[in-house]
Amino acid sequence: MARGPQPRGANRGALLLAAAALAAALAFPTVASTYYIRLLTGIFMFGALASAWNLIGGYAGYPDFGGAAFVGIGAYTTGILMVRAHVPFAAALPAGGLLAIVAAVAMGSVLLRLRGHYFAIATLGFVIVLQQVASNLDITGGGTGMNLPVARTFTAFYYWMLALLVLAVTAGIVLPRSRVGYAIAAIRENQDAAQVLGIEPLPYKIVAYAASAVFFGLAGGIYASWFTFIDPPTVFNVDFTIQAIVMAVFGGPGTAFGPLVGAIVLKSLDTVLTNISVFFHDIFFGALVVLLVIFAPRGLAELFRAPGGIAAAIRAEVRGQRI
Amino acid sequence: MSVGAQIALQNAVNGLLIGGTYATVGVGFSLVWGTLNIVNLAHGALVMLGAYATYWLFTLYHLDPLLSLPLVGGALFAFGYPLQRIVINQVVRAPFLITFLLTFGIELVITNLALAAWTADIRSVTTAYSGRSLALGPVVLPAVRIATLAIAVLVAFGLQVLMTRTRLGSAIRATASDQEAARLMGIPIAHVYALTFAIAAASAGIAGGLISLSFPIFPAMGAGYTLIAFVVCVLGGLGSVPGAFLGGLLLGLLQTYAAAWLGPNFDNIVAFGVLIAVLLVRPAGLLGRAARFRG
Repeated sequence: MARGPQPRGANRGALLLAAAALAAALAFPTVASTYYIRLLTGIFMFGALASAWNLIGGYAGYPDFGGAAFVGIGAYTTGILMVRAHVPFAAALPAGGLLAIVAAVAMGSVLLRLRGHYFAIATLGFVIVLQQVASNLDITGGGTGMNLPVARTFTAFYYWMLALLVLAVTAGIVLPRSRVGYAIAAIRENQDAAQVLGIEPLPYKIVAYAASAVFFGLAGGIYASWFTFIDPPTVFNVDFTIQAIVMAVFGGPGTAFGPLVGAIVLKSLDTVLTNISVFFHDIFFGALVVLLVIFAPRGLAELFRAPGGIAAAIRAEVRGQRI
Repeated sequence: MSVGAQIALQNAVNGLLIGGTYATVGVGFSLVWGTLNIVNLAHGALVMLGAYATYWLFTLYHLDPLLSLPLVGGALFAFGYPLQRIVINQVVRAPFLITFLLTFGIELVITNLALAAWTADIRSVTTAYSGRSLALGPVVLPAVRIATLAIAVLVAFGLQVLMTRTRLGSAIRATASDQEAARLMGIPIAHVYALTFAIAAASAGIAGGLISLSFPIFPAMGAGYTLIAFVVCVLGGLGSVPGAFLGGLLLGLLQTYAAAWLGPNFDNIVAFGVLIAVLLVRPAGLLGRAARFRG
């Protein structure tokens, strides 16, 4: 592995720090106000989404723009089961995750044959299509959306999202150290060479895609129950994917904790912007993306990464990008 | 002529008429992609700006939408040049994930500024001739749609002449095929990139003007047109004006027939289905040069 990253992502120091942070996060609701609990729940959600995107976008190098499709699938599966079949949340949620996996395997086996721009836009199209499908169906409530039962306590969602975040970050630690992870790294670095070595690319890419999708789906399910109202544009919302990508890219794609760090930094910044003006929030966010891309395309990764790996690869390309 | 055949014929005519507008949406997107290697996710937002420009010129100054097209195109040209020169040129050679994010950020800013300025209200342009149509045997031809197709043909023809018969066109094509060689020949790359983007923005603006005559106008309308531009481009092949035109007509036909069979709310689903089918079956597009994207 000359230029490929070592299966990094976690050393002992980082793990200790993570364990301390986790302990603090577990105790946090006992001392904090509702506002901060909600704020942190949001950060956990986007930390999970960014870490999930990292599995396909960072480790496998496939720039997925369709994560929101699985957010929608998870949200609607959970919502429909809870509202129409009166299934309790804890049972409805895994069904949403499962359906996200099924959808990822089905779509992935087609879309993952495409490369680069084509893969990106096809996944983007996938979201737009599912949004239209959800608007046309009866069981989803169509364009008017659906209301979910209101939960008794919102602190529960804090712990659901925290659990999801822990799982997603753990997946980012485990994946690159597994046999599947080595195959995925080989495919990312040079697919043709990997194929010559006997690695059939498609199944491995589907595994990475499904692993990413299940977290998007579960996040969607928790989100639906947390916000209690869903309609096609709010859950099949490309912004979920874009935010996850921006956070992962600026936190350090292909690292276990980078996407989480990116989520913490950007979501905090985002909250400050929202506090300045809810109305102009989306404009601020768009401008923030533009400015970050132009002035810090290497992102925060620089601070956390030793030379080599994806960050170095991007850096090398970025160096020669201006005209 | 049987009723079934009559309906099929009418659908074909409708499809070709709307296809002209799709071609105008796609041709600029194709130009930018083929020349700058950027998939411009803000393309639909530029279409939206064109539609609003037409709407306001019509509503405030009673300027006929068809006559205001040059103004709208000029305004979008003036908007597109600095956008590329100052902003997008900064990262034009970066990995495509970066340019994707950048153009998405630009789309977000433009769309939400439009939302802040003009609200989410759905607007439309209704002229004196909006309801008129021409009966040609059993087929009805709406006057507005004929005019838009004629203008679409004109725009495509103009672009093709520009690309193949002028110095600027040669410079753009040279830059597209080998940037370094073009630079060594004395072509000012940054300027050519900005001009290419500005021309694409102008055509997107004109497309928006055409769309405003037949379809609702609202700030978030752009995303659907970006998808259409992409499908048209994939159907026709990268950077080819005649290809984009053919792709537009084909997509128009497919969507019209699909709407007749399935109902009106399946346009994006059909566009996406076509996209995937073409990518998997005919990778280089119908008239296009080969691109490496299978993986």
